[in-house]
Amino acid sequence: MNSLRIAIGGARGVIGESLTPDVIVNYSHAFGTYVEGGRVLISRDTRPSGQMVHHCVLAGLLAAGCEVVDLGVCPTPALQLAVRTSDAVGGIAITAGHNPTEWNALKPIRADGIFLNSAQAGELLDIYHQRDFRKATWDALKPYSHDVVAGLQHLDAIAAELDTDLIRSRNLLVAVDCVNGACSEYAPGLLERIGCRVVAMNTETDQPFPHQPEPAAENLSQLRALVQATGADAGFAFDADGDRLGVVCEDGSAPGEEMTICLATEMILSRGDPGPVVVNLCTTQAVEDIAAAHGDREVIRTGIGQAYVSEQALNSRACVAGEGSGGCLFPRINYANDSLATMGHILQLVAGRTSLREVVASLPRYAMTKAALPCRTHNAFSALERLREEGEPAWADPAQTELADGIKYRNRDRWVYVRVSATEPLIRVIAEAPTQGESEWLVREFLSAIRRLI
Amino acid sequence: MPTVRTLKTGVSGIRGVVGESFTPQLLVGFAQAFGTYLDGGTVVVGRDTRPSGEMARNALIGGLLATGCDVLDLGIAPVPTIQHTVRRVGASGGIAITASHNPQEWNALKFIHRDGVMLRPYQAEELLAVYYQANYTLVGSGRLGKLESDPGAARKHLDEILDLVGPDKELIAKRRFRVVVDCCNGAAAGLTQPFLRSLGCEVIAINNSRDRGFPRPPEPVPQHLGQLEAAVREHGADIGFAQDADADRLAIVTEAGVALGEDFALVFACDATDPSEPGPFVTTLSTSRMIDEIGERQGRQVLRTPVGEINVVEAMRRHNAALGGEGSGGVIWPRLQLCRDSFAGMALILRGLARRGGTVTEWKDSFRPGAVVRARVDCSAAEAQSVMMALREAYSGEQVDLTEGLRVVWPDGSWLHVRPSNTEAIIRVVAEADDESAAQALRDQALEAIAAHRGR
Repeated sequence: MNSLRIAIGGARGVIGESLTPDVIVNYSHAFGTYVEGGRVLISRDTRPSGQMVHHCVLAGLLAAGCEVVDLGVCPTPALQLAVRTSDAVGGIAITAGHNPTEWNALKPIRADGIFLNSAQAGELLDIYHQRDFRKATWDALKPYSHDVVAGLQHLDAIAAELDTDLIRSRNLLVAVDCVNGACSEYAPGLLERIGCRVVAMNTETDQPFPHQPEPAAENLSQLRALVQATGADAGFAFDADGDRLGVVCEDGSAPGEEMTICLATEMILSRGDPGPVVVNLCTTQAVEDIAAAHGDREVIRTGIGQAYVSEQALNSRACVAGEGSGGCLFPRINYANDSLATMGHILQLVAGRTSLREVVASLPRYAMTKAALPCRTHNAFSALERLREEGEPAWADPAQTELADGIKYRNRDRWVYVRVSATEPLIRVIAEAPTQGESEWLVREFLSAIRRLI
Repeated sequence: MPTVRTLKTGVSGIRGVVGESFTPQLLVGFAQAFGTYLDGGTVVVGRDTRPSGEMARNALIGGLLATGCDVLDLGIAPVPTIQHTVRRVGASGGIAITASHNPQEWNALKFIHRDGVMLRPYQAEELLAVYYQANYTLVGSGRLGKLESDPGAARKHLDEILDLVGPDKELIAKRRFRVVVDCCNGAAAGLTQPFLRSLGCEVIAINNSRDRGFPRPPEPVPQHLGQLEAAVREHGADIGFAQDADADRLAIVTEAGVALGEDFALVFACDATDPSEPGPFVTTLSTSRMIDEIGERQGRQVLRTPVGEINVVEAMRRHNAALGGEGSGGVIWPRLQLCRDSFAGMALILRGLARRGGTVTEWKDSFRPGAVVRARVDCSAAEAQSVMMALREAYSGEQVDLTEGLRVVWPDGSWLHVRPSNTEAIIRVVAEADDESAAQALRDQALEAIAAHRGR
């Protein structure tokens, strides 16, 4: 199977297989053409292919006449903040996020620090495919330079939004697992800055990922053991580039990725920030419950992808936004999923309550079930269309049906969501309900319906 | 206006114009082809000071790492330093990013074999075959090459020259030469001044910056060396040296502030060759007869090859030459390495000047008087073939040598060489005779014969 995916989210592939130097040079040359020269910021995570990709990106951008500023190994949200707060015309993050080490990707960022939306990414792809690139003559080539402070400025911006006196007063002991990724230096740095004691593991950026860099519950065993062994008040797991965060409570329990956005929402609504909450279509409905508990606050749902969430958060002046995968966005800091900012806000929430376990226990929780059905892309959309034509199931409330990006049926306490994967030849089915048995039943029902329709 | 095609892909490397044909796609392709061709190991990469060098450097590093080659990045470095480093570290090969004496808008890649010599034509054909097939070896993320730098590479190269000069360093230092050097803001900037100081010279360096752009056309021919001539006069220097952008070629200005013809760097270096270094001289068919004069004096054979560094180098290797090079200012000292090296040239010439005493002008006047003149005629490679046939006919009554193009030698020692260029769509004409007007007459006669054939 060809692993290359050149789509809205950028260019992604397996090193040595599909994300070749030619693809990288062409894609970055296309991006340099798209931004018409100008200053472009780049960063990378710590995967071993980062250096090779970095040099190919530099070649493409420089050839287009861009001035390139290299932030080096740096969290993606720090790059996005630097693009947003400088006169740069865009950025490229070299990271495959939570994907395994053999993957890498280029993620294009526009001048306001948000990933390209679908219309903008479409224009970039047209340039990429047409190959009519901007070619700077020798006297129009720009230099390239390094910025070693962007990561620290990002920490400054986060700390400035937190009640550090409150956090410091609790003298919290915090365990972090940085997966040897881009937050290896910055997560302990932020914790020290806001007055926490730190016990950190996997902070060697020149070492391989010690486990899959996705902060999902199944990858948290090391961190859970560390929390229990040290008696830490909380544990946090980072992904390779610092957009997603996993949480471990002081008793070593891991409440799951969906809890991250719930904690962030609880924190921001407790503080009384104005504006709606923005989450994507497959984020837990606990967010609605939390918003309701804070005086019927509005929740806006978007399509799947950080670009949709960020842009909606910007346009609707949201107070907090995010995804069930552990990525949360705080508009007072940045329009990027930001694991460091998320950690800071969760610690402030904990500092104002008894403990993380107590906060987690106070929030509503549902059982979520996820499944994927292999399906060739050209059949998948037809199958979904036929499913749509069959109409709502009996239990669903037609007023809450969402057909914009996939199919989502809902009622008061359960939902099912079916969509075609943007990155793999799969149809994904996700359901959430009060109990595990109910959510599994919903997924089974829809899987068999889709099998029948393919 | 007809389309001007600037890309030149051939056995002497690839060359193009930045913003037109010298693209990152081309570069990353050749980097992967070279990495695939070498099948791993270390590749030494360096560049001259052209602004496009940074773009090219990144494309090469990216492509090479992807094929699993480690890269030793020298940054801005003279070509002879890159070649020296390839051998010193036991690398699989090297790539020099330089268009040498070509103007700023050009850039090029030169590929270096593991023995420090430019790829021979058959090796370059192999590399081109890999490039055209584009079936590159790409390794997985765990086996990608490592990138390292070596900021001390030039010093190690120049230190070896100083070691080889050995006790003669004292001899040179005793003369306390005052030297002006024009580095052309090229790869030698910042290196030549301390190097010559180590030889006990007082050194004034001009155009000694790496980031200001070329102050003159980088080809070190007399008409480009006015600034150096003036500086030599102003400082009352004993000699002036001019280097090109990548420091392989060398030119001389006398103590009177007169730029000598481009053959003189090699002529002086041959004349300064130590009797303890046996073997013939090797040079091209287009180089001055003064080399033969020195060969007679020193009792050495002089071998002549077709023009092109690799031709000279191959003959030098086969015949264990004492010294060799090209009349365009490329001095090759095989005790150091088999490549053109302006630093080695300077050391040999200063040694010669120290040993013989006197001035550079007196040294120049010690040779039989003569003048070399050159010309070029625009002509496609295809048409050049019929032009050469016609010329052979026209000169059939003379003593001719058909090794490369046509070389005619007359009994008074004057000669004419006409040949199609390897790298450009031109025919080159060179003539040498006892004085300027006689040489011009030989040249003009050839130009007329060419024009007469093409006019038919």
